[in-house]
Amino acid sequence: MSDLGAHFFRREYGRLVATLTRRFGLRHLEAVEDAVQEALLAAVDTWPTSAVPDHPSAWLYRAAYNHFIDGQRKRRRREAIDSLRAAERSEGASSEAQDDVGSDLLRLLFVCCDKSIPMESQLVFALKTLCGFDVREIAARLFMTEANVYKRLGRARRSLRELPIQDADPSVRELATRLPAVQSVLYLLFTEGHLSLHAEPALRRELCDEARRLTELLAMHPAGATPETFALLALMYLHTARMATRQDASGGLVLLEEQDRSRWDASLIEIGVSWLGRSASGDRFSRYHAEAGIAAEHCLAPSFAETRWDRIVECYALLDRTAPSPLHTLNRALAVAEWRGPEAGLATLEGLAPPSWLAGSFMWAAVLADLHRRAGDRVRSEEHRSAALAAAPNSVIRRTLERRLTS
Amino acid sequence: MPKFLCLQRSLSTSSSDKPSPAQMQAMYAKFNEWREKFQGNLVDLGGRLGRAKVALPEPAPDGPLIEVKELVGGYMIVSAATLEEAIAIARECPGLVRPGSGVEVIEIQAPG
Repeated sequence: MSDLGAHFFRREYGRLVATLTRRFGLRHLEAVEDAVQEALLAAVDTWPTSAVPDHPSAWLYRAAYNHFIDGQRKRRRREAIDSLRAAERSEGASSEAQDDVGSDLLRLLFVCCDKSIPMESQLVFALKTLCGFDVREIAARLFMTEANVYKRLGRARRSLRELPIQDADPSVRELATRLPAVQSVLYLLFTEGHLSLHAEPALRRELCDEARRLTELLAMHPAGATPETFALLALMYLHTARMATRQDASGGLVLLEEQDRSRWDASLIEIGVSWLGRSASGDRFSRYHAEAGIAAEHCLAPSFAETRWDRIVECYALLDRTAPSPLHTLNRALAVAEWRGPEAGLATLEGLAPPSWLAGSFMWAAVLADLHRRAGDRVRSEEHRSAALAAAPNSVIRRTLERRLTS
Repeated sequence: MPKFLCLQRSLSTSSSDKPSPAQMQAMYAKFNEWREKFQGNLVDLGGRLGRAKVALPEPAPDGPLIEVKELVGGYMIVSAATLEEAIAIARECPGLVRPGSGVEVIEIQAPG
C-alpha cells in the first residue's frame, strides 16, 4: 500500500478544482467542486480494495474530469457538451503535469482576490477551494458559524460568476496589480492561525502551514517572486519556529521571556532567515519586511536579556511608518522599555490618543499596567491592571495577565 | 473455517453530509488499518455494486432486483470461526459501517 501524503486528499482537492476551473471556466465552479468530491470518494472506495494506482494524481484527474462531463451531460444536450469540450482550453496531457499545479492554484488565488470580493470572503473561498477544507472545518478554524461561512462563500462565488471573462483570466500585468491583495489574504490566513487564542494548537498550526505552502508557491512563481513575498514568507517561517512554545500543555499563554528557546525550531529559523536575506532587495520596504525583521531579531537572540532591542525598536518605527497603527506604537513602547527602561517606554506613548477599540482593549491597559509597575507607580499600575483584567476576552488571557501583572 | 457474506445496506434514505477531503483521508487510513488487522480473515474484499439485470431462462422485462444497488451498497467475503466473529470483523470496517448504513452478515454454507 503506497503511502499518500498526510494531506493528500485536501491537496488534491485544491489542485483539481484549480485545474478544472481553468480548463472549463469559473462559471462551472460548483459543478467542478462536485465532480472533484465524487472523484475523491471513488478513490476512497476503490483504492483500498484494489490498489493505489501508479499515478494517483492522474487517476483522480481523469475521474474528476469524467464526473464533470457526465454531470454536464445530464444537464445539457449532446451538442452543448461538444461545444463545452471545444471551448475547453486544451493543453492535452500537460495539464496533468505536476509543474502546472502551482500555477493553477495561484491563478485561482489571484482570481479570488478580485477587489469586488470582501477580504473575509476571499479568505473563506481560499480555504474551501484551494486548501480543501469543508464548511464545518472552516467554521471551526475561524470561529464562525457555519451559516456565516456559507454566506461568505456564497458572496465570493456570486462575484466570481459575474466577473467579466477577462477578469477571470488575469493577464500578467493584472497579476502584478493584484499581488498586494494576494499577499494580504495569505497574511490574514497566517495570522488567523498564529494569533488565534482559542483553537486547538493543531488546527492553528494547520492554517499557518496552509498559508506558508501557498506563499511558497507564490514566491516560486514569476508573478509573485518579489521582495515583499519573500519577506512575508520569512515572517511565516520565523513565527512558526516559535509556535510550539507559545502555549503550555494546558493551553495557557507562555510569555516571550519564559519561552524555552531550545525548543524553537532551528531549521525553520534558518529557512526564515534565508528568505529574509532574499527579501533585502528592491526599493520598497514593506510591512512584511519590518515584521519579519522583528521576528528574526527574537529568533536569533540567545536569550531575552540579550535581545537587540534597539533593532526591534527601529523595526517597529519602520512598521509604524509603512503601516501606521497605534498597536504598532504600543509594541514599540514595550521594546523601548526593554531597551531604555520603563520610563522611556511610557514616554513613547505620551501624546498618543488611542482610538476607542484600542483604549478599551486589554492590550492597552495591560501595557500601561506593566510599564507603570516597572516604573514603581503602584497606584496607576493597579488602576490599569483592573481595567486589563476586566477587558480580557477569555480566561486564558486573564490568567496570563494576572500572572504577569502581579508584582 | 466458515465463510460469511457481508452486505452493506443503507438504513436510511436521507443523504448524510458528504465527507470532507480530510475526513476521506481519515476513512482511507482507517480502512487500511482494518485491512492489516484482519488480513487473515479477508477472503474477498469485494466491492461496490453497480448495474443489475435479472437473467431468466426466457427473456423477461427488468425484474425487481434491478433496485438491488439502492439497498445494497457493496459486498465482501470474510472467513471466521463463528457468525459473531464475522460480525465483529464487519463492524470494525470503516467502509462498511458508515453513518446511515449497516452490514448484513450471512453464513455461506459449504456443501457436505
